[in-house]
Amino acid sequence: MTAFYGLLIGVAMGFFIQRVRASSPGMIVRNLRLENLSVIKFMALTMAVGMVLVYGLNLVIPSAMHFDVKPTYVLGVLLGGLVFGVGFGIGGYCPGTSVVGIGEGRKDAIVAMLGGVVGALVFTLVYTTLIAPIVKVADLGKITLADVTHVSPFVLAVVVSAVFLVVIKLLPTEVGAKR
Amino acid sequence: MTTTIDSSTGKTPWVFYGVLFGILGTLSILAWGPIGVSGTYPRVIGELLTLVVPDYAAGNPYLQKMGHLFAKTETYLVIGLLLGGFLGARLNKEKAPACEMIHPSEKTTGRRYRDAFIGGFLIVFGARIAGGCTSGHIISGITQLSVSGFIFAAGVFATGILTAKTLKRRHVAAEA
Repeated sequence: MTAFYGLLIGVAMGFFIQRVRASSPGMIVRNLRLENLSVIKFMALTMAVGMVLVYGLNLVIPSAMHFDVKPTYVLGVLLGGLVFGVGFGIGGYCPGTSVVGIGEGRKDAIVAMLGGVVGALVFTLVYTTLIAPIVKVADLGKITLADVTHVSPFVLAVVVSAVFLVVIKLLPTEVGAKR
Repeated sequence: MTTTIDSSTGKTPWVFYGVLFGILGTLSILAWGPIGVSGTYPRVIGELLTLVVPDYAAGNPYLQKMGHLFAKTETYLVIGLLLGGFLGARLNKEKAPACEMIHPSEKTTGRRYRDAFIGGFLIVFGARIAGGCTSGHIISGITQLSVSGFIFAAGVFATGILTAKTLKRRHVAAEA
């Protein structure tokens, strides 16, 4: 049954990504050059809405929430992010948007996905020798801001969400254009 | 509310879909767990290696850790992304998009494909080091206030912005 939910949520997610043009590598690069901030704002708004909803629901129906926090192994997470950013800047796709782009009929998205498949193959081959030692460094476990600050997660969610909303409101969408 | 995209100004309905995506991520956590994509790539590799070199695949600790492709809800989400992208474009009566040249150095489709391949390689390799991508670490991670999500996002935008700006600037300098 979760496979069916997964499919439905994937269809909706792909639809949203296509409509905000996050599957356009040109749009992604304009966002990374800080010329147009619409995709960055889209992501920030998604998180601002999501965090208040999930931690709000968690106060009411905690047993229904399937949280799954990823471990914070500081070196590997940061290094992975830095490598990811270079690829994001060069290609203009992320692993999900390349799949959406293929659905849209973008040929370079197929090439990006093939690059990703080769990347996953090389990663699998070097995992034991190169990667496993890195992910053991400074592993703080599955921690959230609430664990670090000892503040209620719902209160934190409201505060972080408010900060995101203020930043979204203050920043222009089209940089350099009249607002 | 308009859902048409004005290609001349680059205006998109990001506010409307940002709110909807926040609700969708919440539904996902209610249904089975946070959304994610990049783990599907090594699971595809796992299935392929199992066909070609089954002994190696069975003995690879990473493939064993990631689990079987069709046993994961995430796999069906990725299939959904493909359908969603198709529907988003077709219901809006958009033609298949032309190949976008995204950097000044991309003067041929060959150069564009080269950049797409290198980019695709690095995003999946980087995401697998970190244990998640834009979906799993940034959208789902920060929604859950995970410390790892904030660290990953800082890394992605640091080099992402630097790379995109450098690829534009270096070309302008070379032309001058």
